[in-house]
Order: sequence, then C-alpha cells, then structure tokens
Amino acid sequence: MILEGILAVCQPLTILWIAIGVVVGIIFGAIPGLTATMAIVMFLPVTYSMSASQGIAMLMALYIGGISGGLISAILLNIPGTPSSVATCFDGKPMANKGQAGRALGTGVVFSFVGTLIGIGILMVLAPVLCAFALKFQAYEYCALALFSLSMVVALTGTDMPKGLISAVLGALLATVGLAPIDSRPRFTFDMYQLNNGFALVVLLIGLFAISEVMSFAESVRKKEDFSIEQNVKMKGAGFSLAEFIMQIPNAIVSALIGVGIGILPGIGGGVSCMISYTVSKNTSKHRELYGTGIMDGIVASETANNATIGGAVIPLLSLGIPGDPATAMLLGGLMIHNVAPGPLIYEKNGAVVYAIFTAMLIAAVMMLLFMLWGMRFFVSVLKVPKNYLLPIVMVLCGIGAIGNANQIFDTYVMVGFGLMAFLMIKAKIPTVPMILGFILGPTFEQNLRRVSQLASSDPFWNHPIFCVLIVATVLVVIFSVRANLKDAAREDSNE
Amino acid sequence: MSKKIFCALVLVLALVSGCFAADWPAKTINIYVTHAAGGDTDYMARQLGAQLEKILGVSVVLSNVTGSNGATCMQQYRNGAKDGYTFIATNTAALNGNEATGMVDFGYNAFEPVAVYGIQSGENIVVPASSPYKTLKDLIDASKEKPGQIRLGISMGGGVYIMACVLQNIGKAQFNIIEAGDAANRLTALLGNAIDATSIPYSSAADYIEKGQLRSLCTVLSKSPTLLPGQPAASEVIPELKLDTEYALLAPKGTPAEIVKAMNDAVMKACATAEWKKIVNDFSWQDPFYFDVEGSIANLKAQRDLFMSLVPILEIQ
Repeated sequence: MILEGILAVCQPLTILWIAIGVVVGIIFGAIPGLTATMAIVMFLPVTYSMSASQGIAMLMALYIGGISGGLISAILLNIPGTPSSVATCFDGKPMANKGQAGRALGTGVVFSFVGTLIGIGILMVLAPVLCAFALKFQAYEYCALALFSLSMVVALTGTDMPKGLISAVLGALLATVGLAPIDSRPRFTFDMYQLNNGFALVVLLIGLFAISEVMSFAESVRKKEDFSIEQNVKMKGAGFSLAEFIMQIPNAIVSALIGVGIGILPGIGGGVSCMISYTVSKNTSKHRELYGTGIMDGIVASETANNATIGGAVIPLLSLGIPGDPATAMLLGGLMIHNVAPGPLIYEKNGAVVYAIFTAMLIAAVMMLLFMLWGMRFFVSVLKVPKNYLLPIVMVLCGIGAIGNANQIFDTYVMVGFGLMAFLMIKAKIPTVPMILGFILGPTFEQNLRRVSQLASSDPFWNHPIFCVLIVATVLVVIFSVRANLKDAAREDSNE
Repeated sequence: MSKKIFCALVLVLALVSGCFAADWPAKTINIYVTHAAGGDTDYMARQLGAQLEKILGVSVVLSNVTGSNGATCMQQYRNGAKDGYTFIATNTAALNGNEATGMVDFGYNAFEPVAVYGIQSGENIVVPASSPYKTLKDLIDASKEKPGQIRLGISMGGGVYIMACVLQNIGKAQFNIIEAGDAANRLTALLGNAIDATSIPYSSAADYIEKGQLRSLCTVLSKSPTLLPGQPAASEVIPELKLDTEYALLAPKGTPAEIVKAMNDAVMKACATAEWKKIVNDFSWQDPFYFDVEGSIANLKAQRDLFMSLVPILEIQ
C-alpha cells in the first residue's frame, strides 16, 4: 500500500503537476493579495478531471508553495504575501535594509523547508494520537485559547501597550461586521448586502500592509533621493553558514512544534502561528532586544512555524475529515470530489492515496527549496526596480487579489479604505500587526464565548482542565510581558 | 390606434426574442455559483457546465461568488444581464431557506428558474454508537423524559436550524439546542462528546457509521437516496421534516422564455446521458434527477410552500 502510494506520485506527469503547483503556489504566495487559499480555489476545478493522486498532489504542492512564497514580499517589500508571513516582516525587512536581502531570503527558504519537513514528519508518525488531542478542544478550550493567543498582543506590542491594545480591539471590532456568528443577525451592515459577509482577512491584510506602504511612499515622492535604487545586493549560497544553521536548530524545533500544534487545532491557522512563535522565540531569547533589528532568529521563528502549520493542519483533515483553515477546507473539497473521504477509515479505504499525499508533500517541499534557492537571485532584483515603477504594479496586483477573494469589486473599495485607516494608524504610531491578531481571534473568542454561555448551566468550567490551564497561562503571559515591556521602556529611557 | 401600436410592439418584441433564441448561444455563457469551490453545489455546477459546453458548442465559464449561504451571489445577479448568457447555479435549500429564515426578502420568483438538475445525498441525524437511541422517535421521547438534558448540535439559520425548529415546535422535543457551527464543527463536537446528537451530511458521516463510531437514526431527505436504500426518513416521525437539497440553475428575471427553454433542453439532454448517471451515482449516491421548466418551477414551489408554512415556528425557545 505504501509502495503503491509512492508509485502513484512518482510518475512523470504527476511530478510535472507538482512542479507546476509549487511554482504557481510560490507566485501566489509572493504576490501581496494573492494567497495560498486562492491558488487552491483557482486550481481546484482544474483537478476535477485528473486522477485522485494527481489532483491531490497538485493541490498539496500549491498549498506548500503558497505558504512558502509569502516570505519573498515580506522580506523585500515589507508587505507580507500571505497572512502566514506577517511576522517574517519584523526581522526580514530590517535585515534586507542592511543589504543582507539574500541572507534573509536564504534563511526564510531553508527554515520554511525545515518547518515543512518537521510538520510532515509529525503528520506521518503521530496523526492518530494528535487527533484525540484535537477533539478535546471544544467551545471552552477554544475560548481560552483565543484569549491566550490575544494575550500575545501584549507581548507583541513592545513598549507602547495602550496603542497595541487599541489596534487589537479595533481589529476585533472590524471582525464583528457582517452576519453575527450563531444567530446570523446583521451587524454594522447599513443594509448593504456586500457587508453581510463581513470583511475578508486578505483584504484587511492588503490594506494594512500594501496600500499603506504605497501611501507612505507617495507621501515622500517629491523628495529627489527617493528614486534611488538598491545596489548593495549580493548573493552567495543560502546566505548563511553551517554554524549559524546549527545555532538556530533549537529555535527552529520549538517554532515547528508551535506551528504543528496550532495547525492541528481547527480554526486558528498559519497567520496566528507565525506571530505566536515569533513572540515565544523573542521572550525566551537571551538577546530579546535584538529582535526587530534584522536577526536570523526572528525569520527562523516565523518561517519554520508557518510551514510546520501545513503538516499540523493536514492531520485533522485526513484523520477526522475536519479542515483547520480555509486552505484545508478547499483541500477537503478536493479529496471528496475524488471520492476520497477523509475520516477514521481513510487508511483502510484509501491507504494508497494517503501515502501518495505524504510522498507528494515531501516532493513538493524539496521542489520548493530548490525553486526558491534558485530563484532568489531573481527575487532580490526586485529591489533594483525603482519603487515608483514597482509600487503601482503591486497596487494593481493587490486590486486583483481583493476582487479575486469573492469576485466582488466592492472589496477593492474596502481595501483602499483599510489602506487609509492603516496610513492614519502609522501616523499615530499605532502598530498594525495586533489588529490582524484581533481580527482573526476576535470572532473565535466571541463565537465560543457564546457557545460556552449556552453550555455553562449543564457543564461548568471546572470540568475542563485545558480551559483552566490556558486561563492561568494567559494571566501569567500578561504579567510577565507587562513586566518585560516596562523594563524595556525603562532601558530605552535611560539610553536617551 | 394605441391598440395597433401595442400589437406592433408585441410583434416586434416577439420577433426580436425569436431572433434571440434562434441565434442563441453565440458567445460564452457565464454561470455564477453561489457556493465556494470544493463544495457539492460547485462540483455539480461545474460538471453540468462541462456537459453544456459539449451540447451547446460554446464556452461555459463558472465563477464562484460566495457568502451568506449563497445570498450574496443571488442579490448580485438576480437583476443581471437578461441576454441569456448569465445564469446562477445554486441549491434549493439555500434559495428557499434564506427566504424562509428572513436572510433575504426574495425567493425563486425573483428569478427565471431554468432547471432543477440534481439532488444531494442529504443529511442524516446521527448519534454516537454508544448512545442508547436507535431511532429518531427514541431520541425525541428521551428528550421529553429529560427536558433540556440531551444536547442537539445545530448551526443557526441554515437547513439544520429549520430541522431543530421542526423537532422542538412540531415534534414537541425538548432538546438543549447548542450552536455548534458548520458540519465539520458539529462532527468534531459530536466526536468530542460536546453534543449528544446532530445532523451532518451523509458523505461526512459514512465512514464513522461504517467504523461503528456513529449511528444514523434517519435521513432528513423526503426519501432515502436511490443507492442507499432502506434508511428510515425523518418524515415518517414528523411529516413536516423534509429537507431536500436539490441543485438548481436560475436566470436573471426577464431572461426571454425561449432561451430559458433552450437552456433547459440542453440541461435535460446532459442529464439523460450515461456519463451523467455515473457522475451523480459516484458523487451523491443518487440517480439523475431533473425536470423541464414547468416541472422545475413546480418543484421549487413545493419546497418553498413547505418552508414558508414553517415560518411561524422558526424560533427556538
């Protein structure tokens, strides 16, 4: 059965589809506004006519390529290509600004590969055990988990906590637009049916990071020196030494475990895993003050975690038939259409397909590594394009991405609106990243809080040990982060 | 005089629309799918689109305009181009259900229905295999004995919500109704013992039933799918509990009747092939299920009448 699965993938045509999938995925991931999910949505109908293993291999390749590609624009343009690479900007762009764009890309690519491998490894060995764990997460546990993840905002916001909290709360408020979870009452829709769906994460992401970047540039467009181009771009190998790689291994393993853990839990996803792993890495590091200045550790934490999330998300997808995020929901559709029903019997009924999926994921991971390392020399040349030519193109691509989200022109207006909002936020020195966390986690918290309130009478919280542990952990994270932030602030003051 | 003008106008209109139909189709046909890629509504629409391309000889392009259980797409295209090149592919549970639950204020009458062209394998009411309940009647009776103790997982607003309302208000069951999210989330909740019973698509439940982890009490379809015979139907216990999800093709209001008829002919032709039978047998355990224009409208009306008759009870205390 294992051999059958491997053989099904090791056909020239299937390998070709995987290669196409990886390349298309990387392109979708790299272009701000186009995401891994969109790549899968676009190609899903193409796979209807393929054989099961071909179709699913291609979808997996798109997924892996899409999540990995996001680091390119995060590092080179300071615009995350997908929600999963938001945290890659923190250290990626500063490193690129120091003239080490190649080193930043190399780090991102290699550790994306490492993360993917760890994720796949855990998926292959531990899937059934971890599924039992995932099922323990119900309304109470999700409620506490969302709270715990939101507490990371405090840690993420650096020294100006009130502004970070403002941003996170605004994000959570934006997420309330549309039909309410549970009772489907319209909220803040002003009788516009386009708002019934609420705002899409990708549209918010483009507005916050891409449009605001374009606006900030436009602001300084009359200054002459701004048309200068980056000359200082060198490229050799992966950009870092073996010793540096070995130094990063503990960081990578912790980040990968965080990524897999978040991937397993349906509904949280890569956008959160990179931020949590970045925060954990920063707060446990001996040189936490260097984070954000362009060090390898930050890129490693973000990129290892978001790619490890892939393996994690595929665990409940295959073993339970439960998708963890929008991308895996599409993959579930792709499997069902080929009459492969994910669930407890998948190994017995479609064992060959399962091993074909594992093989395809491994091949796609290797291809991702090769294509990205090979392509790096071309990616960095983006920095040589004057920004006054580059940014209008980015703007157009963002518009396409916003429309592509649900085939609605309306989303482009929303995108520009969010861009204006982000521009004003940057002017007021309010960080934009906590807003993304608030936007993703706010609805998870609300929905599960409301479910908990339905359950509380018959099922009190002390029956839920995971809930209690997470709440205690949240309190501890808040206390320690506040103390650390106050110390940092004091240090900054004394330096001035 | 005015009568003459009127007659002339009618004649011209008839000629123009006649020409329409004679030349149709001359260019690419756009079908807007109300649900996302990967779901059953999208799959069926795309399979139909592929068949129509062969029959009509023009390209058929499918795009997904998603959100609000299909309402976003229907709002956007119900007054779309009436030239016979714009169609909407949806399912009847969304079309009639969104009207009954008040999400939108229009129903199938806001469109020119073209064809009902398929039927889903439906949802089943399931409990864990360890549960003592063997039939829907057992489950309802138990809920009356222990009011508020048996947790029924649903999602608000959709077909499952209508089911819960019928169970509570017509069946006089006394479940503790718990919002548990979409089908995947309800399955998670049932496996994790957060709820005691729920309704999920047969396609998601099949393996769990076979492995002996879940037990199906009944289907909520009006009758068992043709390839899965012998399942008890919920309507045997509560006659109003019939949730048939059928796939429908609609055109914007005002699309010429000749074109609607011509499109329906093409759909009927596609659905009559052996290839189509294999597609629907494999995908939804059903035999081909399709109607001419009048039959499709009658079918939509029957479901709408049933759903609208339930409006007074669509509330959970």
